Amino acid sequence: MVEVFAVASGKGGTGKTTSTVALGMALSDRYDVTVVDADTGMANLLFHAGLSDAETTLHDVLADDAPVEAATYDRFGLTVVPCGTSLDGFRDADPDRLRDVVATLAKDTDIILLDSPPALDSRTAVLPIVLADRIVVVLQPTIPAISDGLKVQEYATTYDTDVAGLLFNKVRESESIEQVSEKTERYFDGPTLASVPESERAREARRAGRPLLAHAPECEAASAYREAAESLTVRNGAAADAADRFQSAVIPESL
Amino acid sequence: MKLPRGRLDKSRVVTDLRDTLADVLDRELTGYAVFESQETLLLDGEGRGVITFTDGVPVLAYHTGTDRGGPPALADLAVPGPYHVSLYALDAADLESAHGAGELQVPPGMPAERLGGDPALADSTRRAAPDERLSAMGDGDAAVPGDGTAEQSAVEAFLDDAEKIEAIKQQARSEARERAQEWDF
Ligand SMILES: Nc1ncnc2c1ncn2[C@@H]1O[C@H](COP(=O)(O)OP(=O)(O)O)[C@@H](O)[C@H]1O
Ligand SMILES: [Mg+2]
Repeated sequence: MVEVFAVASGKGGTGKTTSTVALGMALSDRYDVTVVDADTGMANLLFHAGLSDAETTLHDVLADDAPVEAATYDRFGLTVVPCGTSLDGFRDADPDRLRDVVATLAKDTDIILLDSPPALDSRTAVLPIVLADRIVVVLQPTIPAISDGLKVQEYATTYDTDVAGLLFNKVRESESIEQVSEKTERYFDGPTLASVPESERAREARRAGRPLLAHAPECEAASAYREAAESLTVRNGAAADAADRFQSAVIPESL
Repeated sequence: MKLPRGRLDKSRVVTDLRDTLADVLDRELTGYAVFESQETLLLDGEGRGVITFTDGVPVLAYHTGTDRGGPPALADLAVPGPYHVSLYALDAADLESAHGAGELQVPPGMPAERLGGDPALADSTRRAAPDERLSAMGDGDAAVPGDGTAEQSAVEAFLDDAEKIEAIKQQARSEARERAQEWDF
């Protein structure tokens, strides 16, 4: 059984990487979870997961210089596939190999979370959304973040990828998020999974190079991620055909 | 709004207006920015938005398509990117008469909130603004640091505009279909 989620938002800085790692750790209580830094042009998951000195990364795998197994690391109860940050690494990477990477990882895990690029302007940027079964849309309660999030959803559903739910992040105390999230849900195909408060702990965790749920597991933001994980019902894909599914994931014929 | 043309400082396509506003603040630009959404087909986003700046801090906003100024002009501008943005530098003296037009004024942090979607950048913009700009704007318009009430109602007003949101979605779907062929998935 495997389900692949792309953690996405049209906008940078909304907290996709923070959320990928936090949601992954929260889900790892119940599932075997693999997180992949699929933001191959501006990778930074490695800095959130204490892997800044990782020798082999997704870039090497996408350049066909290493097998996937060489770029997987067991950290914080997760299987982590970090990506390198060099421009050369990005240039030499063949983004299409991500299909094989996902297919290979899918054989041996329950959930794959793809930390996705904050853009929809290239084939590489959109591929994680195409490959995923569902997306988790990370939103801040701002007009640009919500309208970019709508765009991501429409791309996803056009490409036959469903919406698992919304994560509001960096919610300030002054905001009563209920009204905004209720109105936002009218336009999205998935429910609000949780509202994560703006939290100094999250920034500290990033500076310490540790996941939020390892750095401050008791803080409000961390419990919001656990709440999100609980409200996510993971669907059982058939393990047997998983590899096939991702190698051949394409845009539906009807287009 | 009448402005001298000024010296062209930068002209390019950006996907996130936050970056432009952060750059202007960082370089303390005095002058103005012209914004044009690249995706005005289905949206009534036709026309251009203009924002003026003194030392990197927004002063006026105006939208040529709707002929609205002040906060409503920011609402007109709030459509998904990419945008074509041109920045022009001016001498402070050249902006004096335009800046006298009070009805076009926006609170210093409001463009960062509503176009940039970055409350933290809005905070730093407010910190960079002269005191009289903060007190002049009065209550309820997010001129006061930490007052999210006005911002939240702007978000809710956006979400109440079902027609605009449907247009954004429709535009995204047709773009997604076109791109699928272009990218040959
Ligand atoms: N809930 C939060 N409260 C405060 N800061 C946050 C929160 N979530 C993320 N951040 C911070 O915001 C910045 C961007 O987060 P990141 O997860 O890298 O975003 P993205 O991957 O979407 O670009 C980081 O410095 C991170 O520590
Ligand atoms: Mg990221």
